[in-house]
Amino acid sequence: MSAPAPTRATTGTVFDIGYQPYTGAREGRGSGRRAVFKDGLRISLGLGRGPRAKVLPWFFIALLASIGLVMALVAGAVERLGGPGSAAEANLPSHSDFYGIASIILFLFAAVVAPELLCRDRREGTISLYLVRPVTGSDYVLARWLAFLAVMLVAAWLPQFILLLGLAAGDPSPTTYMAAHWLDIPKFLLAGIAMAVYATTLALLASSFTTRRAYASVFLVGLFVITAPFTIGLASEIGGKAGQWISMFNLTNIPVHVNDLIFGKVSEITSEAPARELGGTVLVAWYFAWTIVPMVVLWGRYRRLTP
Amino acid sequence: MTPGAPLVTASRLTKQFGEVVALNEADISIPAGITGLLGENGAGKSTAIKLFLGLLRPTTGSVSVLGENPVENIVVRGRLGYMPEHDCLPTQVSAAEFLTHMAELSGLPPSSARTRAADTLRHTGLFEERYRAIGGYSTGMKQRVKLGQALVHDPAFVFLDEPTAGLDPLGREDMLTLVRKTHREFGISVLLSSHLMADVERTCDRIIVLQGGRVVQSGEVGHFTKETATVFIEVDLNRERLIAALERRGVAVAADGSGLTIEGADESVYDHVRDALVEAEAPLRRMAPRRRALAELFSREGGTR
Repeated sequence: MSAPAPTRATTGTVFDIGYQPYTGAREGRGSGRRAVFKDGLRISLGLGRGPRAKVLPWFFIALLASIGLVMALVAGAVERLGGPGSAAEANLPSHSDFYGIASIILFLFAAVVAPELLCRDRREGTISLYLVRPVTGSDYVLARWLAFLAVMLVAAWLPQFILLLGLAAGDPSPTTYMAAHWLDIPKFLLAGIAMAVYATTLALLASSFTTRRAYASVFLVGLFVITAPFTIGLASEIGGKAGQWISMFNLTNIPVHVNDLIFGKVSEITSEAPARELGGTVLVAWYFAWTIVPMVVLWGRYRRLTP
Repeated sequence: MTPGAPLVTASRLTKQFGEVVALNEADISIPAGITGLLGENGAGKSTAIKLFLGLLRPTTGSVSVLGENPVENIVVRGRLGYMPEHDCLPTQVSAAEFLTHMAELSGLPPSSARTRAADTLRHTGLFEERYRAIGGYSTGMKQRVKLGQALVHDPAFVFLDEPTAGLDPLGREDMLTLVRKTHREFGISVLLSSHLMADVERTCDRIIVLQGGRVVQSGEVGHFTKETATVFIEVDLNRERLIAALERRGVAVAADGSGLTIEGADESVYDHVRDALVEAEAPLRRMAPRRRALAELFSREGGTR
């Protein structure tokens, strides 16, 4: 029997190659903007942070998705129990009603999550590290705005897609259903954009005035939740043209009026609003006033920011 | 940029905030190496750094950094690093994640940013702790993260604002070692802003002294060392006769407590001291070279420019 072949001992050596200068690409300002945007997405969803940072955003996203799911399940159940077409006959809430039903949850989501994108950077002084890089204050706030808008769009659209798939799956002929209702898709996408732009802008504007997330959140919750009963009561008390204008200050209704115009159908929560009588042009102009003016103010607050 | 040209130049640079003149017709030229920017609080150090970074527009005068106007071309900031004095670190994220993000902000692609973040944390001594949230770090570790974020994108020039603030003596020494390493090993030029003369003296090649918004001194550290060199002597007897003997030899001498301080201590002074001691029959108890504190530079107008 031959002796086993001698094996060479395998050893590893770690070399310290010292400092290596970076010789790769430098992408400039565009890379900076993308980095702020990506970081904004991660902050909004609590990614790369502890479990506590994830609780609120994912709770709200799950809550909104579950509303879409429940609406789909109810429509499916009615369809199965009452036969084909019974869901439509029962006039169950659908795509056009979703944002009216979920608006307060969308606004609460914005009120609780959006301040984290701006307040913490100023409170912890990290903003000074952004502004000494190839990123301006305008770049920073625009990227943060786009990041939260993207998250808001996901939160707004996801339940609508769940509802659409649920309604199609519940129909005896899903393809026929989709062919008959395909126009709902651009409508709910557009109405979702209106909701998201409005909530994002107001939430970030309020956040730009304080370094404390809690202050911004409490203010926004007050703004969205308290103005609704207050304006409804005052508008019905006063009535007439003045009542209609007071009703316009119901901040939760402003984007829902736009949703109604897009779908050509009045939502449950705006059906009693006197503001509706002012007409579509006024309602759309009012919506743009409540988005463009805050956007300009927000931009103005960051445009000339220096560390 | 031509090789050997100053990395930062300022010509008659003035910055006014309303009635307050923060920087007054400052002519500054910073070559490669480690330069100390010395000055008391309110001397204009932070304003100068903000002007160099293009964060403020000069009221009058001009500034050029790496051959570019930093106000008009903010892309040049991608080749600059800045370590602020104040707290600026996020508490919730890890050092690795934070430095990666800072590298991407400076223009590095994501994969390179991750590699650079890990390398930089290794060079600043935080590699083992890189996945811990920054909020749990000690003051010394936070200062290292602050330095790391200034270096992560491999800048050509880095501005360090009071890097030893809040550190204990050991931490301070470690930080100054890192600052020296930043230039000598990494090849990154440094502007070290500080009010601690000892830090600047031990770390820098050149010094710029600001006072009331004006540049009152600037030059090589060696020049200041020479200018501030003195000899301290103590004798047991005949102190007055020794002073007279030294003055006859043209040596500037001043009483300093129980001893004497001799200015401008070059080699020839030691011969004069020896001869004067013999002539005055003054038994020598102690003789030692000493340095005048750089603090005195703050109170001396003019000087070398």
